[in-house]
Amino acid sequence: MAFTSLNFLIFALATVILYYIIPVNFRWVVLLAASYAFYLISSPKTFVFVLLTTVITYLGGLYIGNCNAGHKAYMDEHKAEMSREEKKAAKAASQSRKRKMVALILILNFGVLAVLKYFRYYLQAAGIFDAGELLIPLGISFYTFQSAAYIFDLYRNKIEPDRNIAKFALFTAFFPQIIQGPISRHDQLAHQLYEGHRFDYSNLTRGAQLILWGFFKKLVIADRVAILCSEVFDNYTEYTGGAVFVALLFYTIQIYADFSGGIDIARGVAQCMGIEMTHNFMRPYFSHNLSEFWNRWHISLSHWCRDYIFYPVAMSKFFGKLGKSLRNVFGDRIGKLFPVIVAQYCTFITIGLWHGAEFKYVAYGLYNGTVIVLGLLCEPLLKAAMEKLHIKAESKAWKLFQIIRTFFIVVCGRIFPKAASFGVAISMFFSMFRLNHGVPFSETVMSLGLTGADFLIILVCCIIWFAVSLIQEKDMRLNGGDGNKGFRQMLDEKPLPLRWAILLAAFALILSLGIYGPGYDAAAFIYRGF
Amino acid sequence: MRETVLEILTEIRGDIDFENETKLIDDNILASLDIVAIVGEFNDEFDVEISVEDLVPENFNSVDAMVKLIETAQE
Repeated sequence: MAFTSLNFLIFALATVILYYIIPVNFRWVVLLAASYAFYLISSPKTFVFVLLTTVITYLGGLYIGNCNAGHKAYMDEHKAEMSREEKKAAKAASQSRKRKMVALILILNFGVLAVLKYFRYYLQAAGIFDAGELLIPLGISFYTFQSAAYIFDLYRNKIEPDRNIAKFALFTAFFPQIIQGPISRHDQLAHQLYEGHRFDYSNLTRGAQLILWGFFKKLVIADRVAILCSEVFDNYTEYTGGAVFVALLFYTIQIYADFSGGIDIARGVAQCMGIEMTHNFMRPYFSHNLSEFWNRWHISLSHWCRDYIFYPVAMSKFFGKLGKSLRNVFGDRIGKLFPVIVAQYCTFITIGLWHGAEFKYVAYGLYNGTVIVLGLLCEPLLKAAMEKLHIKAESKAWKLFQIIRTFFIVVCGRIFPKAASFGVAISMFFSMFRLNHGVPFSETVMSLGLTGADFLIILVCCIIWFAVSLIQEKDMRLNGGDGNKGFRQMLDEKPLPLRWAILLAAFALILSLGIYGPGYDAAAFIYRGF
Repeated sequence: MRETVLEILTEIRGDIDFENETKLIDDNILASLDIVAIVGEFNDEFDVEISVEDLVPENFNSVDAMVKLIETAQE
């Protein structure tokens, strides 16, 4: 059931109505029933895998939680008479027990993910099973990563375990987020799902506005620019020069509109029931460097990798010691940076692999990691060059240059996940520099599947999107936080008739300008495939 | 100790007003690279072992929170 289908809208509306009809204490039951119904309708054959991950994670979580409680009780009783060494030994013993359980859960959960998503074709080639018989479970990467975060947080004693398996099942399979995230943390989302929320008109309107905004980005922008992207990427041997560059630029718009539109719909549905899911985007194309970009793009995955891969690797004793020994060879700076560099590559290879097993995704990760590492290594050179050229780091011109530079680094990187393979990505990249002699650029662009009216619609809609983003960015600078409330706050302050006029105009715009495929079903979301 | 912490922070990120900022993590002012550098310096300077478990926003949102973290780690 696609987010953009009429069926989903009816399903979401029915869930919201039921949610508010049922007594407050049982509202979480409605959410669980709706989530499982959604999964069974969308992907009935793979439902068993969600159940498997839920049961494994729940039981493992209980064990780790009990270890935490047992250690605390022991320390409370004996702390006074224990020496520092004894305290350390008791902690180490508890950590060791927990670590074994964490390893077991991760092997089981990621093992399922690896077999079904990554090694299926190798296993098929080896004759172990027929991959065609097994579908990839809907949202498997999202719920596996979310479950892993729950286990890591329990291991770090940051949260208490869920003792009700039905409630935990809801946390794992909450229907708005199962298709394409965001990857929520237990301490941020679970309590919101379990406690019933009373009806609030403001939640309902704000949720509906967010859904409308998501539909606008997905149907009017993403699915329109997708026509041009598909034409060029599917027939890449026929295009060179500007056409490839335009397709890449449009894909940069498409992926953002598609993914963030889907997230807005998911967050909007949750918000209608008073549930605030974590943000996944914070105007990423306003970033000044690639590190900042990854802090604003697919935030829930970036932060997952930061907390559970980057920090543990960068702060590990092993790499710390290795870095110290390298200081004698490469100097203090490189020695200090060494653990960070290793951690960056581990992080970005994971982000690449998260998208799929093909080498083009690893290349995408390596590309991003390498740009960031080069930035770190060249920082002193850049500072010296800026001083010589009298460039002020705080000047508006420099900041604008940084934003444009980062945007084009991102645009170039997009070629890896979008192209059919790594080889195609490289060949398409170099074809950008081969001119298409004979045919004028404007003529080529107009032959890529979009009409002049389509280009105008894309331009106007992107300007609207850009203006909203500017308001949000300004709100963030003035009031702190993420700034995502900026535009809706502004809308709330307008008189009621004007507010409704804007919303109705937006609704009419989506209905009349949305791109609908056969059977009026929009194109599938890109991240649904991950 | 507070003075030394401030010196370390300013050395790593001279562009931030550490004296007055109280949402260094919540407002995305400090990046993950900064955190790794800060923890490395704290561990060396104060002979403590700040680990991944300590990396929660509450411990790094302000100078005072960081001082408190070091004091706890020293116990």
